[in-house]
Amino acid sequence: MHSTRRTFLKTGLAMAAAPLAFRQPAMASSPLQAAWVGWGDAQVLPVVDTAKAMAAGVDVALETIPVSQYFQSLEVRLAPRSGTPDFFLVDGPLTASYAARGHLLDLTSVIDQSRFAKPAVDQATYHGKLYTAPFGTSSQLLYYNRDLLERSGIEVPSADVEKRWTWEALVEAARKVNDPSKGVWGFSFEQADRPYQLFPLMQSLGAKTVSTDGLQVSGYIDCPESIEAYTFYQRLFQDWKISPAGLYDGPLVQELFGSGNLGFMVGGTYIMDSLTKRYPGVTWGVAPHPYFAGGNPVTPTGSWHIGLNARSNNIDAAQTLLAAVLSEKVMDVWFRVRPNPPVLNRLWDTTKAPFTSEGWKIIRYELDHTAMVRPATPGYAEYEDIFKLALRDIQGGSPVPDVLASAAKKIDAAIAKYRI
Amino acid sequence: MFRASWATVAAFLSLALTCLFVFRVVPVAIAVVGSFYGESLTGEPVFKGLGNFLDLFADQEFRDGVVRTLVFNILVNPIQIGIAFFLAILVLNPTKAAKFFRVALFLPMCISLALASVLWSILLDPSLGLVNGLLSALGADRQLFFRSEGQALWSLILLATWKSVGYWMIFLLAGLVAIPSDIYEAASLDGATGWRAFTKITLPLMKRPLLFVLVADTTANFLFFAPVYLITGGGPNNSTNFLMFQAYRSSFVLVDHGRSLAISTIILLMIGAVAALEFRLFRADPKQG
Repeated sequence: MHSTRRTFLKTGLAMAAAPLAFRQPAMASSPLQAAWVGWGDAQVLPVVDTAKAMAAGVDVALETIPVSQYFQSLEVRLAPRSGTPDFFLVDGPLTASYAARGHLLDLTSVIDQSRFAKPAVDQATYHGKLYTAPFGTSSQLLYYNRDLLERSGIEVPSADVEKRWTWEALVEAARKVNDPSKGVWGFSFEQADRPYQLFPLMQSLGAKTVSTDGLQVSGYIDCPESIEAYTFYQRLFQDWKISPAGLYDGPLVQELFGSGNLGFMVGGTYIMDSLTKRYPGVTWGVAPHPYFAGGNPVTPTGSWHIGLNARSNNIDAAQTLLAAVLSEKVMDVWFRVRPNPPVLNRLWDTTKAPFTSEGWKIIRYELDHTAMVRPATPGYAEYEDIFKLALRDIQGGSPVPDVLASAAKKIDAAIAKYRI
Repeated sequence: MFRASWATVAAFLSLALTCLFVFRVVPVAIAVVGSFYGESLTGEPVFKGLGNFLDLFADQEFRDGVVRTLVFNILVNPIQIGIAFFLAILVLNPTKAAKFFRVALFLPMCISLALASVLWSILLDPSLGLVNGLLSALGADRQLFFRSEGQALWSLILLATWKSVGYWMIFLLAGLVAIPSDIYEAASLDGATGWRAFTKITLPLMKRPLLFVLVADTTANFLFFAPVYLITGGGPNNSTNFLMFQAYRSSFVLVDHGRSLAISTIILLMIGAVAALEFRLFRADPKQG
């Protein structure tokens, strides 16, 4: 009896250890496995197909994963350290996280960094080496509904970056537009719980998001400036009630704006395109991102990068495909199917047509003058998730200093493992 | 009489036993063994002994999660089984209308939990939801539902109950149908009808199906995850931060697989303990045979 039990335990242990012991290398002859964000075929296939046509002889097995599940799926795929996916999209600030865990191939000698925007190259660099290739960047604008503003007797904000509105001015105007009885809201962030869009609040008041070594947030996200910034954020929902609480879904906020029920919205460049196509009935305009009176203008930036798996058995094919994707031709297709600001410097001069509009003029200014990348820390995934939940609690009315202090503690505990 | 040889029996059982072993025993073994390990940044396993468990018990978020998971289960299981039992009695008589309601009540079970979560999150949305539209049309205040610290747990209970009572009802209905009608006839001759017949005949004879439903429902609700992931994200203010969600976050967000497996192991132990308690409570009285 005793020996049976021992045998059973041994078998169990052996089975449990099996996946650790037998890490089967991918077959070299198998197709290149590429993980891409599932923005829909129309925004993915033209890019991949153009790149495939240029990368002769590379057989690509494409896997698209919806953005809401992309990061978790990638964690699952990378965890066994089996070398797949060979080629994958990386959210810029996660570069350090994947690099620290040995998932990314050092691309320093492969990529000509001078072709790309400097903030994107900085975001792709970890411990002095380039671990991802910049693939896109982003910026934010203040959208306004012209009809609603005129009806409320408000002069529309100027598109001139020198006449940028303050948050205080925005709240005053949004309160005039706000009409709960008709379901009309004054203002909303398009991604109302996303640190990406909300870091600039604290940064505008001069707070830093993380220590210089990227390993501590206590004393940063819970500093007095940060508390002031996120108290302002809370008042949007709780005191002035000009923003709809609990609306975290970007497309729903766009829907609210597109259906004429939202006066102002801070949102990405891609919205210019979707408003024109999907909501032709609404008359809208754009202005520069607001800032706090007495603070500095700060805009969010950063976007997708591309990483190659350090354990891939298909490294040559992966590098060939990467070179094709980073070509001017593919980058141009990418911009046309999903109009985010190009990260390839030359594209601003070659893709002339859209950059003459007011919105694109503002964006170009922001990228050169006010853009601040997300925190450079190998623990960004943990940081972002914990901070997002904290922002939701602040939005819901929880005491700001307590929530920030508790989030800072949790984030510090979660990123302590990156101290080497 | 045909007597199967051991080899035949083993051959027929081998497939089922292999599946049971590969899909049940092995994952449990991996979870339990893994809960004693951590991982270096480069993926090497590091033995931590009871370290993961000690860290968990020192962590306020985890301790709160244990309490929330238990509170959720203490509320949701009796509510679901009570309603399922009540519905089973309502649709017991096989009239045409009852057959229609049996199907109608079972229907929510046929859509995926993820879809049901999206549906309810839209219905109960504070700004755009249909329910709040109706409330304000009736002159009542809008409610935050999933976005309110006080209402989120109850909103999840509502969703879970809507989704699953029809399913549990079917098991209880089968149990009710199996009670021989002559027992009720004999009892009615002795003057026992209505409530008395229910408490003295129906309830004692329903012990087995009720026990099965209770254990299965408790297990399902300890593992309740998708709506938390899709709607509340554990909030507001941790009010729906159940252990399953913490296990998920530990692994896929906080990149701490050892912690995640330790939480999974604790959930397993909790389910085992609660199921054992339920078996004890419902053990058939030997005197009644």
